[in-house]
Amino acid sequence: MLNTDRAPLLWLLAQAALVSAAWCFTDMETGPGAGVSTQPNGDRFKIEGRAIVPGIKTQDWVSAARVLVEGEEYVGFLRTDGSFAVNDVPSGSYVIEIITPNYRFEPVRVDITSKGKMRARLVNYIKPSEVIRQPYPLQIRASGPQSYFMKRETWGWTDFLMNPMVMMMVLPLLIIVLLPKVVNTNDPEMRKEIEQSMNMLSPNPELPDVSELVTKFFSGSKGSSKAGGSSKGTRPAAKRR
Amino acid sequence: MAKLILLCLNYMILRSTVEAVFEDQVGKFDWRQQYVGKVRFSSFDTHAQSSKKVLLATESNVFAALNTRTGDLFWRHVDKTGPEGNIDALLQHGQDAVLVVGDGRLLRSWEINVGGLNWEILLDSGSFQSACLVGQQDNVKHVAVLKKTVISLHYLSNGHQKWIENLPESETVDYQAVYSDGNGEVYAMGVVPHSHITIVVYSVEDGEIIKQVSVEAPWLSNIQTSCAVIGPGMLTCMDPATVSLYMLDLHLESEMTQIPLQALGLEVTPGFHPVLVSTQPNPARQPLSEFFLQLGPEQYLLLQLNNGQIVTLRDFKPAMLASFATAGEKTVAAVMSPKNKTACSINLFNAETGRRLLDTTLIYNLDPNGGKPEKLYVQAFLKKDDSVGYRVMVQTEDHALAFLQQPGRVMWTREEALSDVVTMEMVDLPLTGTQAELEGEFGKKADGLMSMVMKRLSSQLILLQAWIAHLWKLFYDARKPRSQVKNEVTIENLSRDEFNLQKMMVMVTASGKLFGIDSKTGNKDTGLATLHVFNPIFGKKSHITPPALPQPILQSLLLPLMDQDYAKVLLLVDDQYKVSAFPSTKNVLQQLQEMASSIFFYLVDSSQGRLSGYRLRTDLSTELIWEVVIPTEVQKIVSIKGKRPNEHVHSQGRVMGDRSVLYKYLNPNLLAVVTESTDLHQERSFVGILLIDGVTGRIIHEAVQRKARGPVHVVHSENWVVYEYWSTKSRRNEFSVIELYEGMELYNSTVFSSLDRPHAPQVLQQSYIFPSSISTMEATLTEKGITSRHLLIGLPSGGILSLPKMFLDPRRPEIVTEQSREENLIPYAPELIIRTEWFINYNQTVSRVRGIYTAPSGLESTCLVVAYGLDIYQTRVYPSKQFDVLKDDY
Repeated sequence: MLNTDRAPLLWLLAQAALVSAAWCFTDMETGPGAGVSTQPNGDRFKIEGRAIVPGIKTQDWVSAARVLVEGEEYVGFLRTDGSFAVNDVPSGSYVIEIITPNYRFEPVRVDITSKGKMRARLVNYIKPSEVIRQPYPLQIRASGPQSYFMKRETWGWTDFLMNPMVMMMVLPLLIIVLLPKVVNTNDPEMRKEIEQSMNMLSPNPELPDVSELVTKFFSGSKGSSKAGGSSKGTRPAAKRR
Repeated sequence: MAKLILLCLNYMILRSTVEAVFEDQVGKFDWRQQYVGKVRFSSFDTHAQSSKKVLLATESNVFAALNTRTGDLFWRHVDKTGPEGNIDALLQHGQDAVLVVGDGRLLRSWEINVGGLNWEILLDSGSFQSACLVGQQDNVKHVAVLKKTVISLHYLSNGHQKWIENLPESETVDYQAVYSDGNGEVYAMGVVPHSHITIVVYSVEDGEIIKQVSVEAPWLSNIQTSCAVIGPGMLTCMDPATVSLYMLDLHLESEMTQIPLQALGLEVTPGFHPVLVSTQPNPARQPLSEFFLQLGPEQYLLLQLNNGQIVTLRDFKPAMLASFATAGEKTVAAVMSPKNKTACSINLFNAETGRRLLDTTLIYNLDPNGGKPEKLYVQAFLKKDDSVGYRVMVQTEDHALAFLQQPGRVMWTREEALSDVVTMEMVDLPLTGTQAELEGEFGKKADGLMSMVMKRLSSQLILLQAWIAHLWKLFYDARKPRSQVKNEVTIENLSRDEFNLQKMMVMVTASGKLFGIDSKTGNKDTGLATLHVFNPIFGKKSHITPPALPQPILQSLLLPLMDQDYAKVLLLVDDQYKVSAFPSTKNVLQQLQEMASSIFFYLVDSSQGRLSGYRLRTDLSTELIWEVVIPTEVQKIVSIKGKRPNEHVHSQGRVMGDRSVLYKYLNPNLLAVVTESTDLHQERSFVGILLIDGVTGRIIHEAVQRKARGPVHVVHSENWVVYEYWSTKSRRNEFSVIELYEGMELYNSTVFSSLDRPHAPQVLQQSYIFPSSISTMEATLTEKGITSRHLLIGLPSGGILSLPKMFLDPRRPEIVTEQSREENLIPYAPELIIRTEWFINYNQTVSRVRGIYTAPSGLESTCLVVAYGLDIYQTRVYPSKQFDVLKDDY
């Protein structure tokens, strides 16, 4: 069978405890928003709340805002003080979103029982039955301005200096210019120390020098007879200086 | 689990540069046009002298305030579509605008300066009839709403109901109008058709019935279309049968008095239903005694009621439109009359005397491609010398609005037909003469070195010439004042640019108006009003006559054949399954006959759930070769998606982690058929998807998503199908992706034939949670298909999300292995994340996005995108960044 259907959602669904209908919740606590809000026409209810954008006057943003209940199934608008009410909603479970082009609001899930009892909780799509209570009537605070834009790479001095090419050029320069001034070369003891360290740095005398090998290779076959024995890595580094 | 999410997040951060807009690119390549729809009610904000607002309530359920100086939106509120958001009435008082919404479901009051809601209340059920503002002692404090069986009075300040009363005898009486003139009474007027009028007078204070009158009126059937209240409470009705006016004093109990129009020396155009237009500038006072009577399509009369006598103040003939306007205490009448074939003139008249006001002529030029003027909205204002000045807003039949001021300067126009685009197409702009010359040089075979050199030199010379001409034009234009530089549509400014990034967008709107829009600037070109042949660039009708269509057309197909003018051949299939070609020249028919045996097409009858495949015979008749029937009692076909004919797939397969190749199943004839169950119970509903080969009818794959319902959005491209549905069980939106592969070997790597494919493809599928509902979906498209694909998803919030297809890949592993990492697969995470950085339209939201159109440009990295709905938004996207373009800062 070539058909290799996979159902990765399965384990997800298994995780979500099967609650027959999440809005038939049983907790009977009477919080501030647990009051029954009945409306003239029977089993239609009102979802109420308030949206706040910290630091911004409401009249500057409410005209561009909308309250969407479960996509565009029900639509509400914001009052001039930022409060809202979505009328004419039957019982059920809905995701409420405040939509503005410039500010970001987190969605909230509101459950309405057939008797009109309301409860708000965090939206969790992975575990739809998980309940983390939120205040009702809703208090939705903008979590900041929407960030639509990527930061452009700006050209700064630090970027230039931290560039590896620049580092490679500047650091040796610094060493060449500054080191002789820092280290007193007239001091005999120091001289000895440097000599020693240079000896340590110098290549292993047993290994052939690469540059030498190459020159030999290009100079032709006449030197080939001397190959091997000609390696004389005994030139002390101090002498080279 | 947490680890997985963390890993996924890591990937996201790594890949966060997939696509986003830079802030300095705002408005550089993109533009948005915002619309409101066809205007139903309009009202000028008159409470402040300097106000620049006009309120519009439209048939698209939008309530908006426009700036009268520029035509731009101050604010706009988009309600739910359909009858629930329908705006029934607009009443304006001071800074408040009261709307009745959804057949009397809601009463809303808006603060028009801020654009915020004052209050919203739910009204009692019952279908809405009429509403009016109710004033007392020059103070307007209430609004009365008349429904089929009840009348209610609400406070303007908070919407609270003051009283509600059942209408007497509402089973027999059809109450249609409500009226108040500031004397503490509200009049509900109803009619028993062809019998009598019933008038019920309520007290504003407590809703008590003060009196109830029935008056014989066997000729009347509808109050709203034939009656108006004039002057001191005279209900005046027009009876077209006897050609006479009937008048009834609402304050007295009396009979209706009949005034034959003949006695006034007036004549009605035969077959025309005369219309009465009155005006009540202040709802707390009585209406004016002057009114318009329209006697024919082009005749208006200004009449006055003077002590029970009707006096003709002025006869306007010919007059197309007439309307009242009030500034301060002065009321004027504006009348539009035809001037010549291409222009109309509008004049102001004193409403009380009928005298023409001096220096008030305004010339309105008719657009030869537009519709006739339909409505006239007048904004009157008092000038410093206390005379009346005015501006007008003219609405035409093609939903366009034009705002004019004296002596005829068009301040702005709005093409509201574009709020309802049905379909669109992007057309490449033509090459100019010089460009064609240059192209020709490369196209021809070499004919000698010398002539090549000469040709190159001459073409370079032409280029130099064009450049100098361009410079000269720039210099010349710079000296002219800006307003005079007109955007003329010429071959010069409508020619192809270097990378074919500028195109002509041809949009078909629901109003029947056709638009050509320049994708670079958003400038509208020309409008035009079955099968039409036209030039897509200039909008001129082609000289080729379209064939007469005697039979209804079932299907039209564009064939890859071309005639001698490089026009592609259109095949039309009528309901007798006969095929006709257009253009049907000899050359085309000959080509068709040769090709006939390899032309297959399919027809869908979703009402019977039947999919049938046909083959063309050489004599252009058809032959049924397969049929698939989906039982309609269980499920119905909701959509069928084939692949786009201009789509290119660059790579035949995918390189796996172990360096082997997994070949894609690239069947160009594959159809994705989406079905929804007829049973909508949340436990039993399902969504099905069938992949059918359109040539052979072979069912390649079938998938069913249980406990799911539509609306289903599908994108079908390359070797994959992505669809989105609503999961009724978990109450969330889910995406599912199906990918088809041939396997590790290709059966026939040179040509794909549906008839010769013995092996069934491998099918991989994976599903994801999507944290929002979606409005529409489309995939990006590029010239050669090298660039990675993105899905463009229109969200109800107005954002257009560009989601990399990489996230919808059924090979995303649940456990990360060395190989999957090698292949750059993202570990599986159940939830897809919406990042606002992926919104291609940043804060330029597109309301009610209904369709997204993608077109390739000349640059492989760039895809042109147009999103349309209530608004239109055009931009470019770079799914793999601009790999073939130097950086801006280079």
